[in-house]
Amino acid sequence: MSESTRRITQVARHEYRAALRSRVLVILIAILVASTIGSVLIGASDYAAQLADYNTYRAAAEAQGLTRIAPSPLAVLALLRGALEYIEILGAIIAITLGYLSVSRERVNRTLPLMRSRPLTGAELATGSYLGALGIFATLIVATALVGVVSLGLIGHDWISPIQVLRVTLACLAALLYLSAFYCLGAIATARAKVPVNGLTIALGIWLVVVLVLPQIGDTLDADNQLPGGLFQALGLDHDGELAVLTHFTGYERVRTGIEEASLAKHFERFAFAMTDVKERYRPYGLSWLLNETRNNIAWLLAYAAVLFAALRRTLSRQQPIETGGNS
Amino acid sequence: MTATSTSGRAVIGTVSAQQALTFRRQRVRLIGVATLIMVTAMAGILGWSSHHTIVRVFDQAVQLQAAAGNPAPANPFLLKPSLSLLSNMVVYIPLIGALIALMVGHLAMAEDQTNGMGRLIFTRPIARTQYALGKILSAVRLLATALAGCWALSLVALLIVNRTLNGPDLARLTGFYALSWAYLVVFALIGMLTALLIRRRSLALLSAIAVWIVVTFVLPQFVSGLRPTQSLNPLSEPAGLSQGFFRITHLAQPISLVEGYKDAASSILRTTPATTAAETALSVLPTLIAAATLALLVLWRIQRHDYSRSASDE
Repeated sequence: MSESTRRITQVARHEYRAALRSRVLVILIAILVASTIGSVLIGASDYAAQLADYNTYRAAAEAQGLTRIAPSPLAVLALLRGALEYIEILGAIIAITLGYLSVSRERVNRTLPLMRSRPLTGAELATGSYLGALGIFATLIVATALVGVVSLGLIGHDWISPIQVLRVTLACLAALLYLSAFYCLGAIATARAKVPVNGLTIALGIWLVVVLVLPQIGDTLDADNQLPGGLFQALGLDHDGELAVLTHFTGYERVRTGIEEASLAKHFERFAFAMTDVKERYRPYGLSWLLNETRNNIAWLLAYAAVLFAALRRTLSRQQPIETGGNS
Repeated sequence: MTATSTSGRAVIGTVSAQQALTFRRQRVRLIGVATLIMVTAMAGILGWSSHHTIVRVFDQAVQLQAAAGNPAPANPFLLKPSLSLLSNMVVYIPLIGALIALMVGHLAMAEDQTNGMGRLIFTRPIARTQYALGKILSAVRLLATALAGCWALSLVALLIVNRTLNGPDLARLTGFYALSWAYLVVFALIGMLTALLIRRRSLALLSAIAVWIVVTFVLPQFVSGLRPTQSLNPLSEPAGLSQGFFRITHLAQPISLVEGYKDAASSILRTTPATTAAETALSVLPTLIAAATLALLVLWRIQRHDYSRSASDE
């Protein structure tokens, strides 16, 4: 192991341990874990009842000698939707908080000058902190996914197959990229602000726009969402009629899609929902087709994470270890 | 006795005026008001876009049905409530407005701790209750100013899109913003209370945000089965309550402040099927109770707050 790798590993370990000592972070993580577990448990118990109904129907149909039995409309992975939505909204706040804490902790405790007095470069500090944060997020995501999958098996009475395990793993990797992007945002905003809490406020403002406002605008502009129950249904148009009308709205739809695509949260949501069968239109297809269909979202997630990590390295490399202009 | 109460009111007024000046100097007033006005403008543009889209879809649908030899569909504007332009505001107030209110409340209480003013102020004969009331008054006034601007902008937007506005609709519009003001006051008080309970500013702010998350996303899920992203859509389908779990937790719906606010707001704006005045009042009641309780907690907590310890490390 090279000296640089050893220093990066030490910073990552320090970041991991320090994060677990933060009360507010532990509280936020507890809210996320309790909410996701609760939503999966509720969904799983409902799923068990629906699955039992379907199995009863299937047994009765087989007893009568029917050869054409309707396939189950249920999708067990779709029960993870609540967990994914919590990661999308609350997970992003946790990531920003972790980014904020990792920068402000060293400033408030006056340990940054001490750390930088060692042969530790800004880039090594950024990489180590980033890896430590990834460790926290991985622990969080794996724990949530495990509880979700076990709940689906024990309460929903439906254990997922190996290919479904792979799909959940891919959704978890997307979550890791997504959270790492927000971690970088929190750390960059804090490092650039004179007063750390102002950086946190700016990062939370960006979170509000990216995670809540842009997707909300995209949803609201959807032509069918203009009336309760659907505009096309209110006008007596079937699916073909809807498609015929929408051919006159290509420019409008392009703007709407553009607004949605400006949001990192929407890319994570689309990919994760495709992997976990949340959207019915994706359910008949295999993994390779889904990966091809969502390649745009994967590319955006990777691009956001890479650009923000590069910006974090740059910011921390340029950060002054000793505050200048103060009276200390 | 009268002199004492007059002097008490004077202290409250002075503290409030000083805080209002601080808000202005820190540009909190400008940012808060401008953000809420921008949000209202965005809601207006989205409402206008919705109107425009419906007109275009309706025109296309009429042509399509005529080509197929079918009768023309019913005019969709008969299905669209006159104040539906404000549907998005019912979403933006709990999302953006509440966060701004948290920030206003937090700054009102935390600034004097950070810059050491608290120690100086209490060397003077000022009762802590009067000080807290002054702070609350300034935050409440700031939110009222911002919402008054939103009210005026909504009025203009409604006149542009609907071309007309009758008396009852004007009263509903005013009622909606009065309700929104009460809702935002709750979050300003949460911001103040967390600043009094937790010494470190950042932790106080994050704790307030944790409360906002629980109120806005977590409680609606457990009480009514609403997924977090459903809270973002003004036309979300009602969640099914067939499960035994929700039949039990639904009894706790009054503590879900955001649902009470949305129900009351939709009822006032008539964007959902009509409800009785009593039902609307029942939806508003939890918000008022929460505001009163939080105000009492702030007044209680400030008596015990140690202003000799500053939070200047941040």
